[in-house]
Amino acid sequence: MTSKTCGRIVRVNLATGEVAQEVISQEFRTKYLGGRGLGAKLLWDLAPVGVEPFSAKNPLIFACGALSGTGAPCSGRLTVTTKGPMTGGYLKSNVGGKLGVTLRMAGYDALVLLGKRATPCYLLIDGEGIHIKDARPVWGQGVKDTCIFLCQELGVDISIACIGPAGENLVKFASIMVDAYHALGRGGVGAIMGSKNVKALVIREGVGAVSVADPTAFGDAVAESRDALYTDGIQPDLYLYGTARDIDLLEKFQILPSYNHQRGGFEGQSVAHLSGREWSDGYVKRRVACGACIYACHRLTEVSSGPYQGTFSGGPEAEAITSLGTANGITDLEAIMKANEICNDLGMDVTSAGATIGWLMETCERGILGKEATDGINVVWGNAKAQETLLRKIAGRAGIGDLLAEGTKRASEKVGSDSWEWALQARGLEQTKVELRGAKGYALSFAVNPRGPDHLHAQVLTEFGGTPEAVAKGIEITGDEKFVRPEIYEKRAELVRWHEDMYTVSDCLGICSFATTAAYGIDEIKSAKLFQAFCGIPLDAEGITRAGKRILTLERMYNLREGHRGRLDDTLPWRVMHEELPELRKRVGAELSRVSPERLDRMLDQYYVLQGWDQQGKPTIATLTTLELDFTISVLERQHAK
Amino acid sequence: MRLSIDPEKCTGCDGCMLACSFAHDGVFDLRRSRIRIQRDPLNKEFNPHVCIQCAAAFCVQACPTAALSKLAETGAILVDEEKCIGCMVCKEACPYGAITLQSEEGSGPLICDLCGGDPECVKVCRLPQAISIIL
Repeated sequence: MTSKTCGRIVRVNLATGEVAQEVISQEFRTKYLGGRGLGAKLLWDLAPVGVEPFSAKNPLIFACGALSGTGAPCSGRLTVTTKGPMTGGYLKSNVGGKLGVTLRMAGYDALVLLGKRATPCYLLIDGEGIHIKDARPVWGQGVKDTCIFLCQELGVDISIACIGPAGENLVKFASIMVDAYHALGRGGVGAIMGSKNVKALVIREGVGAVSVADPTAFGDAVAESRDALYTDGIQPDLYLYGTARDIDLLEKFQILPSYNHQRGGFEGQSVAHLSGREWSDGYVKRRVACGACIYACHRLTEVSSGPYQGTFSGGPEAEAITSLGTANGITDLEAIMKANEICNDLGMDVTSAGATIGWLMETCERGILGKEATDGINVVWGNAKAQETLLRKIAGRAGIGDLLAEGTKRASEKVGSDSWEWALQARGLEQTKVELRGAKGYALSFAVNPRGPDHLHAQVLTEFGGTPEAVAKGIEITGDEKFVRPEIYEKRAELVRWHEDMYTVSDCLGICSFATTAAYGIDEIKSAKLFQAFCGIPLDAEGITRAGKRILTLERMYNLREGHRGRLDDTLPWRVMHEELPELRKRVGAELSRVSPERLDRMLDQYYVLQGWDQQGKPTIATLTTLELDFTISVLERQHAK
Repeated sequence: MRLSIDPEKCTGCDGCMLACSFAHDGVFDLRRSRIRIQRDPLNKEFNPHVCIQCAAAFCVQACPTAALSKLAETGAILVDEEKCIGCMVCKEACPYGAITLQSEEGSGPLICDLCGGDPECVKVCRLPQAISIIL
């Protein structure tokens, strides 16, 4: 790193206000790259073994990508790492907006929050230093009002990461919202921030310069990457229609999560109007990009008339449309936009919030809970008003909301009556809305995702073969086009292995996964070129992929250290493993219409072999040594001794 | 040749600002960008400000030391650092808010020079086309 403004880690002791900085060594940079890699290593080093997620000793780590703050396409992303309150294990959450760019330009690669403030505070990073300021005037307020307050206090040239009431109230799946609408959504990072009494992190924009080791080579690498992205088959759909562009395709293939994953669509009723292709023209007020993004898949939407007039927020993304919509039997787009706005403003993960309500709807449908248990709310499929009320109750932990704020796993344990069977969660985290029974590569990747079941670990989009580039990548990995099909079990371990390494590298560089594993524009060769030109550290494609694998393995070791049971915990929601999806059964037969435990085990067998892990799902000592993770070996020895 | 701006299409990615400072100074520094994007707290508005090579060239007229000139070939404004006294009268004169101060004290204004005819900002704005070239 040539610039003095790059490559520092800063730790803030919230209780005392003490700030300590260290420069990132070249060795550290080479091994852990940046972003997610820095976060994983810092979590390993700084979190005491067995720490409770809400303990003051649990670190909350903000780390921008290695390339954040540069013009590398889609490179502005940042990863937050902590021990998560949903799973009690490793948690990373990745976000765009401007936060990654501003943190890097302020001179930091990573900001670590340690301890807990006695009274509500916010952090301000400007050109002069890090200041802890009083947040009592905005404590209790929603995300929009918090952003407006901070901009009035400080001016608009800032990037803001803040929590809403949900984070303050320790809702287990509370999010941190960046620049008002970009969510650090999954796993409850907002609850950790709330537990530290931190309302917001504010960084003044552009207060420093980001230098490059080899500007000529970097400029060339940026142009090459950009050209590859511009010609990939997925653009300009991302720009025009956003992430919700393919809802109609999910409907066509009958893998649209509906009624809490009981069904793959709506009989006799089309929901194609929920596709971004259909509604973008009418509702999009502005297409918004994260830092240095050339796609701009995010959008601000507004409802201009009718009962939901005035609804204004970022999204709804595909995940919100399914989680707060189809999965709960709700197909009114504007009602979904309202629910999405509520989640964004109160600071809650749309996936977990929606799934928790979906679980409650099914629990009520089965007669296990009645109106007296739900504060008199008529909790039935499709009742959008009931959903709105429940969302507010969850954020405030009021009445039934207090139970739901714990997530479906804990809620179902309390309610009993086999209600865990329709809790669409594994290891405590609700799965994101990919119909796993119709996409076996995704199913495997969900099961082995260190933070719990979701797609933001290895977007195995290749298996759908949606673009010529995706098909080509599928053939490159599996050797034959016949494996580029989502329903089948063959070669899924191979597909997941390539995607998860690439995804990890992407998270480490701060590059959006849309640019690496959805568009196949920036591959390991281009990633290595960008990294090498930027840092001046020689690292080729093989080296950067190995770094990805190292980080992934470290995350695995962290989970094992904290009680993850290897294969036993590489699992999927009960419904996905035991109930056939009716629509899929008709189309591809019984065997392929669920992911049975036996089938999952066979995929895991192959996956562990490719990873260099034993059949219990634990990395072997030889693998750890090869990846220079010797410092983690004692975890295996301790478990062996038991 | 001139730049055309459509604020409605701006996605606020700041890619143009990053590309601008990198093309001119070899570093990524928003303060050194010849383009500035104004925003509001809730991201409803993004307003890029950059020289659009207007015919009147108010900045050239206003300069007391004749440090500014308009290039015949491209229409870009050229700053003669030797003659510039850093008074920033040009900044006041520009009705488009397209001229900004360099961050170091005493140095001249930052004005788009069209990268010699192949603007880097346009290359990163290919999908939204908030900044484009009119020949």
